[in-house]
Amino acid sequence: MNPIRAIIADDEAPLRVSLKKKLESLWPELVICGEAEDGLKAVELIQESQPNIAFLDIRMPGHSGIEVARKTGGMCHVVFITAYEEYAVDAFVSEAIDYIVKPVTEERLKITVDRLKKRISSMPEPSPELKETMQRVLSALESRKTPTRLQWIKVQHGDGVRLDPVEEVCYFQASYKYPAVMTKEGESLIRKTITSLSQELDPNKFWRIQQAGKPLS
Amino acid sequence: MVPELLNKTGKKFLIAVPYNAVFCTIIAILLSILEFAPKGKEISFVDNFVFSQCIGGFCCLFSIGAHNAFKDRKVLLIAAFGVALGLGTIFGELLGSVILWINPLIFIREVGFFFKILFGATLFGSVIIYFWHTREKIIETKTMAQDERIKRLTSEKEMIETNLKLLQAQIEPHFLFNTLSNILSLLDRDPEKGKSMLADLTRYLRTSLSKTRKDVSTIGQEMALIEDYLRIFKVRMGDRLRYEIMVSNDLNDAPLPPMLIQPLVENAIKHGLEPKVGGGEILIRADQNEGMLHVEVADTGLGLQDHEASGNGLTNIQQRLHSLFGDQGRLTLEENLPHGFKAVIEVPYESDQGHYRR
Repeated sequence: MNPIRAIIADDEAPLRVSLKKKLESLWPELVICGEAEDGLKAVELIQESQPNIAFLDIRMPGHSGIEVARKTGGMCHVVFITAYEEYAVDAFVSEAIDYIVKPVTEERLKITVDRLKKRISSMPEPSPELKETMQRVLSALESRKTPTRLQWIKVQHGDGVRLDPVEEVCYFQASYKYPAVMTKEGESLIRKTITSLSQELDPNKFWRIQQAGKPLS
Repeated sequence: MVPELLNKTGKKFLIAVPYNAVFCTIIAILLSILEFAPKGKEISFVDNFVFSQCIGGFCCLFSIGAHNAFKDRKVLLIAAFGVALGLGTIFGELLGSVILWINPLIFIREVGFFFKILFGATLFGSVIIYFWHTREKIIETKTMAQDERIKRLTSEKEMIETNLKLLQAQIEPHFLFNTLSNILSLLDRDPEKGKSMLADLTRYLRTSLSKTRKDVSTIGQEMALIEDYLRIFKVRMGDRLRYEIMVSNDLNDAPLPPMLIQPLVENAIKHGLEPKVGGGEILIRADQNEGMLHVEVADTGLGLQDHEASGNGLTNIQQRLHSLFGDQGRLTLEENLPHGFKAVIEVPYESDQGHYRR
């Protein structure tokens, strides 16, 4: 039987090294066949080396760990590493996904290793079911992120672009190609459609008025 | 200004009219009993009643107007009351004459009688004015005390909220747990580096947590804090983070509210460099010019795109600047060309403040 192989993706080098060392002592037969320092490289690495397991940091440059898992969906078992349970990943632990929080302790990693061993022995090759479960879990996971309200808005000022506080905006008006924004300093153009604005702005503070009637402040 | 004054005066006058009428009636009765009249003449109660109502009405109206117009200037107010009573007497006599169809010239012919009326009006008027004025003052003081209390409570609440937000920002769980796991991992491989990182973290937490309770820090202290913070990230991010702090030594003692710059640096890392493949640079600069202190935090990270929705820290800074310096404190956020993000804080600065403290 081929050795079980894994990759580690984390943007912080010391953490990669430390996870690797812990895995070496807990699971000596496991082969770490590659390391990635950002999401883009992680996707490449998974596609190239086809590991059985991917340890993915959730917050990474390029792609987040969740995006990496989505893009490579079902090709391997995934263990998310997160510093903080912002996604409440706990609720999503499944056949396809496990997670550990930083700092990673050996006790907790041992549990994950045991789970992985069991799963891989029962499902040595990637299967369509694995892929399906994973996609379902991942979309649920991503939808957990609470939408944030727009607090600053990109506004054209002369040659440059500035961020102005939404609080100082009196109204937005969609009479040009791009909507205009009126602040106490005057009118400027922004690069967002009124539709996307109406989704992102706090509905308690801005109302959409059809047919560009009287502006509301 | 003038319409508002008229409006206010009118409202108060309407409230005062019934009281005034009662008072003037009492005066009319008194005058009739005392048989007050020019020598050799007789005045009926009806005449007394009409005149006292008219004179009292005008005196009341003018006094209220005078009070509203010169409320806060004592000497002018007393003079204005005098004028109001004088004019009130003349106007009242004219109106009374018209109502009773009497030749108003009688008051010029009987000058002594006119002055008696004027004296009476001034005497009674002063008593009433004194009474009303005192009453208004008491009400005003009460309202002011109430307002003051509300203001104090609101600002206390705001301060507590800001402190809480700052506190939460400092112990941002991602920062804390990621740093702790880095330290743990270093303790095995490179204990010296691990220890120095732990020292940086300890110092950072100690300074930033105690700072939230103080009102004023200095540029020097703030930059030291930021350096601790950046050193921690330097270990974590390695080559992906480069930074430079350019602050001349003579600005070290310049006063600055605590934890105003740090969130900008945190933002530059969190939204600019950390999510960028390959990382980048942070440049922190401070200088002073024409009574203003400028502190700039510029990065070569992802730029504006990630900041729009994530500006909690930035909004917090802006609110603090506003409450501390009003329109004089400014936070400007713009593109750092060719790529990246630049935040500039401007606050008032007295350049000799640093000198005599040394």
